[in-house]
Amino acid sequence: MPDLTLLYNLAGHLLPFDCMQAAFMRQALVGLLLLAPMAGAMGTQVVNFRMAFFSDAISHSAFAGVAIGLLLSISPQWTMPVFGMLVGVGIMAARRHSALSSDTIIGVFFSAVVAFGLAVVSRDRGVARDLQRFLYGDILTITDAEILGLIALAAAMAAFQFWGYNRMLYIGLNAELAKAHRVAVAAYQYLFAALLSLVVIFSVWAVGVFLVTALLIVPAAAARNFARSAGSMFWWATLVSVSSAVVGLLISAQPWARTATGATMALVAAAWFVLSAVVARGRGERPS
Amino acid sequence: MAQTAGASVTFENVTVRLDGVTILDNVNVSAPPGKRSAIVGPNGAGKTTFLLALLGQVPHSGTIRIAVEGGRPVRIGYVPQRLAFDRGLPVTALEFMLMGRQRLPLWLGRRHAHVERARGWLAAVEADHLERRRIGALSGGETQRMLLALALQEEPDLLILDEPAAGVDLNGEHVFCELLEKLRRDRGFTQLMVSHDLATVTRHSDWVICLNRQVVAEGTPRQALTRATLTAIYGPHMGLADIHELFHHKDCDGSCRT
Repeated sequence: MPDLTLLYNLAGHLLPFDCMQAAFMRQALVGLLLLAPMAGAMGTQVVNFRMAFFSDAISHSAFAGVAIGLLLSISPQWTMPVFGMLVGVGIMAARRHSALSSDTIIGVFFSAVVAFGLAVVSRDRGVARDLQRFLYGDILTITDAEILGLIALAAAMAAFQFWGYNRMLYIGLNAELAKAHRVAVAAYQYLFAALLSLVVIFSVWAVGVFLVTALLIVPAAAARNFARSAGSMFWWATLVSVSSAVVGLLISAQPWARTATGATMALVAAAWFVLSAVVARGRGERPS
Repeated sequence: MAQTAGASVTFENVTVRLDGVTILDNVNVSAPPGKRSAIVGPNGAGKTTFLLALLGQVPHSGTIRIAVEGGRPVRIGYVPQRLAFDRGLPVTALEFMLMGRQRLPLWLGRRHAHVERARGWLAAVEADHLERRRIGALSGGETQRMLLALALQEEPDLLILDEPAAGVDLNGEHVFCELLEKLRRDRGFTQLMVSHDLATVTRHSDWVICLNRQVVAEGTPRQALTRATLTAIYGPHMGLADIHELFHHKDCDGSCRT
């Protein structure tokens, strides 16, 4: 496995605070600096596609991913992302081929994967206790392997956002129109579902099932209020997401705070959103 | 702006069934190349489904042929009835034009060549002054012109319009049709438009297809829009209106309606 010490030391130099002397804080910072921009960028598309409930369903599939790992004696580090991706692509396929509303289809998948996961893990009380990690997240225990996974995902995500950002915007505005004008709508939608599922599962490790939506949706919603164009919306979402993650990490490590990192990050993002709504109101626009 | 001879469109025994309901029943019809064809019919006649089948967006049986001289792939431009979109999305009219043409992501900037071309199309539909406006803040007429610019940007052989002037006032509709006619004369594309407004159809089409799940009549406006045809597709009350008055008022200022 490649040595990531240099990367961690660089992160320590970036933020020369006392709390950043600890190795686990540096690892957490690197993890967040990889995850937050992805969540910010994908969040704008989740909001454009009105898929907040979709990301909720994927995050809750984490239970089932753990359960499958238990059943097959495979590490959840593998089963969670693979199962999450399958659920994401499955939901997208059902949405495209069913007359049922999108919410109903996601609701069916959501219920089934949560029920399956809980049914399996409820048989083993020891595992049920471990599930707390997935409920609340724990970025401070991120491992080298997970950081390498995030680096690979960030590379794939950068390629997707470079190649597909404009077309995803087109599809988000009106898929029929995009398809009529020769945009490969289905290919983009499936790729988006697969990548979003992976970002959501990594976010579950960082902030927990409860707060994944906050990491995706809140920066994107704030970005809509700040931005005056589609290009600037991307940068605003990235700025809000990264700053919320970094400031949240630093605050949570302070002796006077001692709060959960994921929850603190979500609170900082929420503060950004309030500020953005004030700015939008000041410009005479109706805030998102 | 490249010239085209326009595409020809032929439907042979086309049937569309959705959820057990027959929307189009054995439709046999054609639209001549380079001409303005209009599709008329009552609500539920299958007009929009006809267009969606043409666009390959609903499954159908039978054969739909779209062809241009030389056998190259046909370019299609589509103007939907109304753009159902999230009005809170911060996309400017210029970005709207670029998102289907430019590969460089908008967050890294805009390519000069694409911007100039997009501005040219916006100017062609007299919407160049809108380029910095958010699309959610545009009026119905402005949105339709922007959608027309987006469709023309495809340099289409076939331009499909689904009630493009729905929700626009009478004068706006007239201006839109006049603009469309000027562009079609310049570019030569085949135009296929669904319209509810018989006055617009008589004034702005060369070929009319009367549809009520099946083709009831087709021909020039005078041939197709007879009292008998209109009674057959709209019901007996339509017979009270003298369709020939529409032809007498063909030079009206756009305020004539049935």
